[in-house]
Amino acid sequence: MMKPVKKQQNRHATWQNLILAITLILMLFSALPNFYQDNNSPNWLSELGAKPIKLGLDLSGGVLFVLDVDTDRAQSDKLKDIVLDIKTLAREYKARAIKVSQVDSVTLKIDFAATNNKAYSQLFDKVLSIYPELTKTKISNQQITFSYSDQQQVKFRQETMKQTLKTMRGRIEELGITEAVTQKQGKNRIRIELPGVHNPEEAKRIIGATASLDFYQLATNAKSINVKRIRDEHGQWLTLNNKAVFSGSNIKNARAGQDQMGSPLVNLSLDAVGGKKMSEFSKKNIGSPMVTVFSEFYRNTNNELVKKSKVISEAIIQAQLGAQFSITNMQSSSAAQELSLLLRAGSLSAPVTIVQQRTIAATLGADNIDNGIKALTIGVSITLIFMALWYRSLGLVANVALAFNLVSLLGLMSLLPGAVLTLPGIAGLVLTVGMAVDTNVLIFERIKEELRRGHKPLSAIEQGYNSAFTTILDANITTMITGIILYSIGYGAVKGFALILCLGILTSMFTGVFVSKALTKLVIRSNEGQLLGIKS
Amino acid sequence: MSNIMSNKFSKYRMTSFYLAACLVVFALVGLFSRGLNLGLDFTGGYLTEFSTNKSLTQQQMSDKLAPYLGEGFQLSAAENGTYWSIRTPDNGTSSNAWLNDFISATNQTNNAQLSDLTITAQDAIYIGSQVGEELINQGGLALLAALITILLYLSIRFEWRLAMGAVVALFHDVILVLGLFAWLGISFDLTILASILAIIGYSLNDSIIVGDRIREIMKSKKEDDINVIISKAIKSTLVRTLITSGTTLATIAAIWFFAGESLHGFSVALFCGILVGTYSSIAISATVPQLLGLTADYYQQQEEELCQLP
Repeated sequence: MMKPVKKQQNRHATWQNLILAITLILMLFSALPNFYQDNNSPNWLSELGAKPIKLGLDLSGGVLFVLDVDTDRAQSDKLKDIVLDIKTLAREYKARAIKVSQVDSVTLKIDFAATNNKAYSQLFDKVLSIYPELTKTKISNQQITFSYSDQQQVKFRQETMKQTLKTMRGRIEELGITEAVTQKQGKNRIRIELPGVHNPEEAKRIIGATASLDFYQLATNAKSINVKRIRDEHGQWLTLNNKAVFSGSNIKNARAGQDQMGSPLVNLSLDAVGGKKMSEFSKKNIGSPMVTVFSEFYRNTNNELVKKSKVISEAIIQAQLGAQFSITNMQSSSAAQELSLLLRAGSLSAPVTIVQQRTIAATLGADNIDNGIKALTIGVSITLIFMALWYRSLGLVANVALAFNLVSLLGLMSLLPGAVLTLPGIAGLVLTVGMAVDTNVLIFERIKEELRRGHKPLSAIEQGYNSAFTTILDANITTMITGIILYSIGYGAVKGFALILCLGILTSMFTGVFVSKALTKLVIRSNEGQLLGIKS
Repeated sequence: MSNIMSNKFSKYRMTSFYLAACLVVFALVGLFSRGLNLGLDFTGGYLTEFSTNKSLTQQQMSDKLAPYLGEGFQLSAAENGTYWSIRTPDNGTSSNAWLNDFISATNQTNNAQLSDLTITAQDAIYIGSQVGEELINQGGLALLAALITILLYLSIRFEWRLAMGAVVALFHDVILVLGLFAWLGISFDLTILASILAIIGYSLNDSIIVGDRIREIMKSKKEDDINVIISKAIKSTLVRTLITSGTTLATIAAIWFFAGESLHGFSVALFCGILVGTYSSIAISATVPQLLGLTADYYQQQEEELCQLP
C-alpha cells in the first residue's frame, strides 16, 4: 500500500526538478550575451534574440535631457483657435451682436443680445457638435461659457503628452540614435536618455527645437480683426489670416529634392487630415501665396515662455494640391535640407523647454563599470567564503543557489525590454546577494534548531524549509512593496535600483527556496549522522 | 533558571531601548538645528566636475577658482585632490561656461610659468530648481506611501502591536540616518533617498523575523511570561540576524571602498542604516509591543473568543 504513494511523490519531485532545470537553463541562456565583451557574442546568439543588458547613462556615458511640456499653453492655444472658429461660425449663422472672449486657458465666454434666440441656439449646438469636449454653462440670459471639464483637461493633457512623445521619438530616430530611452516623467515632463552621444549640442538643437511649423494664407482684408502681422526674411510686413491652414503635425514625410530646372525644393506628403485640408484650401486659392511660418519657444530672462516666429518660405499655389506637394522657391539646397529635416522632425502642439541637461563623459562610465564590478566581486567573494566555512556542505548548496540567483537576475534584466543597468542598480545587485544569503541563513538556522530538537536530518531539512518559508515570504513581500513604490515614483537611477531590487526578490525567492531545496535533497539523500555540526 | 536569565536580558533590552530613544532625540536635534545639506537633485543648480593631473589642496583650488566663480560655490575634492566637483547655485547668471575660460586660462599660464597643470572636464550637469522642488514632493510621497502600505500589510499579517513595533523601529532607523547626514553635513541626493528606502526594507525584514518568532512562540502556548517569550525570540534569531547583517555589511563596505565617489554617500547611508537597523530589531521592535501591552496569552484569548461563538 505504501509503495505507489512514494512513487507518486518521486514522480512529482522529478517534474519539479525538471521545471527548475528548464527555467535555469533559459535564464542562463538569456544571461549568456553579457559574458562576451564589446558585443562580440556569437551570431547564433544574437540571431535568437538574446541581447546583453542595456547600460544606463551613468555607465555608458551620454546625454540626458528632461523636457517640460507646457500643456497649459497648448490648451490655451487650442481654445484661442476655438474662439476664432466661433467668430467665423457666428457670421455663418447670422448670430449678430455677439462677443466671444477667452476667460482663461480652459474657459471662453460668449456675451450676446437677448433677441434672435434661434440663431444663437443653433450656433451653440453647432459649437458643441464640432467640439464635443466642451461643456456649456449658462451664466445669465445674455452670457454663457464653454469650458473644458476637469476630466477633459486631463484627457487633453494626456493626448498632448502622447503626441509630444511620438514627435520626440521621431526626432531621435532622425538623429540616428537607436538605443535612446524616451519616457514620460510625472505629469508633464519627458525624460530622454541618449547613450553614446557625446556632443549634446546637435542633439539639443533637434530635440530642443521647440519649434512648430504652420502654413498660413495671406489675409485678403488687412483691416480684418482676424489677422496677424509678421516680418518676412526681407523685413517686409506680411498680413496673415489668424488661423493656420494646417500645422506641421499633419506632415507625414518631407524630403529635399530638385525640380526639372535643378532648383531646390522640398517634397511633402501629408496625412489624411492634412491632405483633405490642403486640397480644400488650395482649390479655393490657386494663384495666391501660402506662407510657411516657423515658430520657436524660448525662455526670456524673466523665465517666461516667449514665442518667436519667422517666415521660412512664401510660395505661390500653382494648382489644386493633394496629400503630396512641394514647397518651391527655396533659396539653396542646404536651406531645403534643413527645412525638410525640421518638417520630418515634426511640430509640437505644446511648447517644450529643456529643464535638465546632463552630459556624462564616457571614460567616467567605463570607470564606473569597473568599480561596480570590482565591488560586486569582492562583496560576493566574502559572502561565498563565509557561507562555505560556516555551513560546510549546505553552505556550498547556498553558494550554488546564489550563483544561480545572479545568473537568473542577469537573464531577466537582459530579457526585459525596459530594464537598464545603472550604478545604483549595481548596488541593488549587491543588496540582492545579501537578501539571497538571508533566505538561506534563515532556512539553515531553522534546520539546526530542528536537529537540536532531535529530528533526523531529512525531516529536519523538510521542516526547516517549510517553517522558514512564511517568514521569508513576509519579509520579502514588505521589501517588494518598498521596491514597487520606488519603481513607480522614482526616475532614472532610482528606477534602476528599484527594478533590480524587485527582480532580485523574485529570483532570490526562486533560487533560495526552490532551487536550494532541490539541491539539498540531491546532496543529502540519506539520514547522515552529522549535519551542520550537530549529531543526530 | 531560564527566567532569571530572561529577566536580566530584558533589563538590558529596556536599557538599550531608552538608549535608542536618546539617540533619536540627538538625531532630531541635528535635523532641526542644522538641517539636511540637500544635494543638487533637490536644490537645483549647476554641478561641474573636472580632473587635474596633479594633486592640489582644497585651498589652492579654491583660490584658483575664485576669480571665475566669485563667492557662493561649494568645492569638494576626491581621489587625493585630482578630481573636483563644484556646485554653484542656479541664480540665472552662472552657468558652465566659466569652465572653458578656466581651462584655457590655466593652460596659458602653464606655457608662461612652465608648470604642467592640465585640467580635463568630466561632467557638467544643469538641474532646474523646479525639478528639485518636484523631487522633494515625490520623495516625500514615496516615503509616505511606502510607510502606509507596509503598516497596512503588517497589521493584517500580524497583531497590530507587533506592526507598531516594526514601524517604530523603522522610524528610529530612518531618523538616525537622516540625523547622521545632518550632523556630518554630507550632501543628501537622490541615491541617498534610494538607500533610505532600502534601509526601510532591511529594517522591516529584521523586525518581521523577530515578530514572526514571537508570534510562533505565543501560539505554541509553552510560555506564559511575555518577557521570556521576547527574550527567547530574540535569542533564537540572533545568529541569523548577525550573519545576514555581517555579510551585507561586508558587501556594502566593498561598495564604500571600491565603487568610487558617486556611490560614497549611498554606501555610508546603507552601512549606518543596517547597523542601526540590526540594533533596533533587537532593542525596539520587540520592546514596543510589550510597552503597548502585548500579553503572552493574546493568541489563546483570540482562540477562546472564536470558540465562544455558537
